[in-house]
Amino acid sequence: MTADPAPVPPPADLPKNSFGATPDPWIAAARLDYGADRTLASAVRDQVVHVATAPERDRVEEKLLAALASPDARPAGRAFLCEMLALAGSARSVPALAALLRDPATSDAGRYALEAIPGPEATAALRDALAVLAGPARAGVVGSLAARGEEVRS
Amino acid sequence: MAPLIVPSRVLGQAAPSRRIAVGIVGCGNIADSHFEALLGRPDDVRIVAVCDVDRVRVEAALARVNRAYGDAGCRGHGDFRELNRRPDVDAVFICTPDHWHALVGIDAARQGKDIYVEKPLTLTIREGRALVEAVRKHGRVAQHGTQHRSMKRFRDAAEYVRSGGLGRLERIDCFIPPNNRHVGATWEPEPVPPGLDWDRWLGPAPWRPYSAVGCHYNFRFIADSAYGQVTNWGAHYLDIAQWALDRDASGPVAVEGRGQFPASGLFTTATRVDFTVHYAGGVPVTCRTRHEGGGTVRFVGERGWVDIARGRMSASDPRLLREMQAPGKAVSLPVSDDHHDNFFASMRSRQRPIADVELGHRTTTVCNLGQIAMVLGRRLQWDPAREEFVGDEMANRLRGRAMRAPWSLA
Repeated sequence: MTADPAPVPPPADLPKNSFGATPDPWIAAARLDYGADRTLASAVRDQVVHVATAPERDRVEEKLLAALASPDARPAGRAFLCEMLALAGSARSVPALAALLRDPATSDAGRYALEAIPGPEATAALRDALAVLAGPARAGVVGSLAARGEEVRS
Repeated sequence: MAPLIVPSRVLGQAAPSRRIAVGIVGCGNIADSHFEALLGRPDDVRIVAVCDVDRVRVEAALARVNRAYGDAGCRGHGDFRELNRRPDVDAVFICTPDHWHALVGIDAARQGKDIYVEKPLTLTIREGRALVEAVRKHGRVAQHGTQHRSMKRFRDAAEYVRSGGLGRLERIDCFIPPNNRHVGATWEPEPVPPGLDWDRWLGPAPWRPYSAVGCHYNFRFIADSAYGQVTNWGAHYLDIAQWALDRDASGPVAVEGRGQFPASGLFTTATRVDFTVHYAGGVPVTCRTRHEGGGTVRFVGERGWVDIARGRMSASDPRLLREMQAPGKAVSLPVSDDHHDNFFASMRSRQRPIADVELGHRTTTVCNLGQIAMVLGRRLQWDPAREEFVGDEMANRLRGRAMRAPWSLA
């Protein structure tokens, strides 16, 4: 009689058969990469589009801004968070978005949200950026101001 | 030697020998049917320019056109602005991904070109209104590519419904097919293939790295570019609902929907579409995914129902179909039996075509309303005169979107 072979120990990292703490979807959304699983970002989207009250929107906006400020934020994650702020952002989001707007590397993401946020704060941020941006990024700002019904000399 | 192509405006509107010179922007999937139709026409129309951001497609289109004409008279472009500025081009066919329609169309109108825009008219409601305004401002003819308007069976149905053939109309059901492509929950960025200008392909859409499954054809399943079957097929059948309801210059007053969207993966448009728009007067129009049977529009009235698709018709009672197809109904609608013929005739007459840009915008707006309601998952009130949602700021923000620099509607 032959003894049963010893069971093969599982590898140290076996995602399909292991589990851990549920990741914070807001942080996971900030760390999103192009092509990666975006299930947790979709959970964030669900929360954003279903806000029903002003306090809920404030809470969601706060979480989006905190995620956006994460040092681990990736380009895809940043673009996603700005897409969400285009839906739920208010004047409170403008300073963080204005900082993105003024950096050519992140300008499109910041402007995506700023163009959609009503109010003079967002308009002022776009106008202020005209003085520091050039080339395509500046042309984009001119277009966003026009989309908001603002007159601007290009 | 290339033939001399004289722009029709040089010869004047009344010149009997006038030949219309066409440029085609976007040489992929949907352009194929236009190439086939235009190259098969008599000598009244000639394709003189083709444009695509994929050089492989430009070269294939050039070879096809020049082979058909037996010369080298057609020229290729990688930038639509070059084509739009050619003085010998009279009409521009816009066959690009949806996120480009407004920009190419507005530029063409500003350059004095007439326009044939594939459906949906534009990606967003705001873009659609901007395109309508540009067409009107510059006095251009613009045909929307909802060619059901030029098919007798759909005209018959619209006339029949408007004439009260079904008695009191109770509802209209539009069925659209499911997505015909699927990709998994993750995807890999890939090197851009030689000849493709990926940055220009993206244009106003948010930047993402290239992947083959996220480019040609499949753009329609990525919400940065299109709204899936809502706009791909919904534009056709919702268009006939609008026609039958006589709402070509207006639209619904409310919308509600529950769609299913993929939680991960490159594709972001609804895998199951289900929304209802409500018109003043009380007739609901539904739009739903149907996995068997394909696309169709079904009119339900107190006398029964008729169900009309491109390739077939059915009814609760065959007598209704006979009545529907009989001449002499109380309401007669403008007749067009060929969408291209109608467009070119409108160019010559300077009259509005059968699928004028305004009604194309209104139909595309219905698609957008359904998309927005499904994304938000709540009932929305819509003011078709002001083209804005009532009391829902988030929904109103979804009427438009910022374009990636340097592109804009300005």
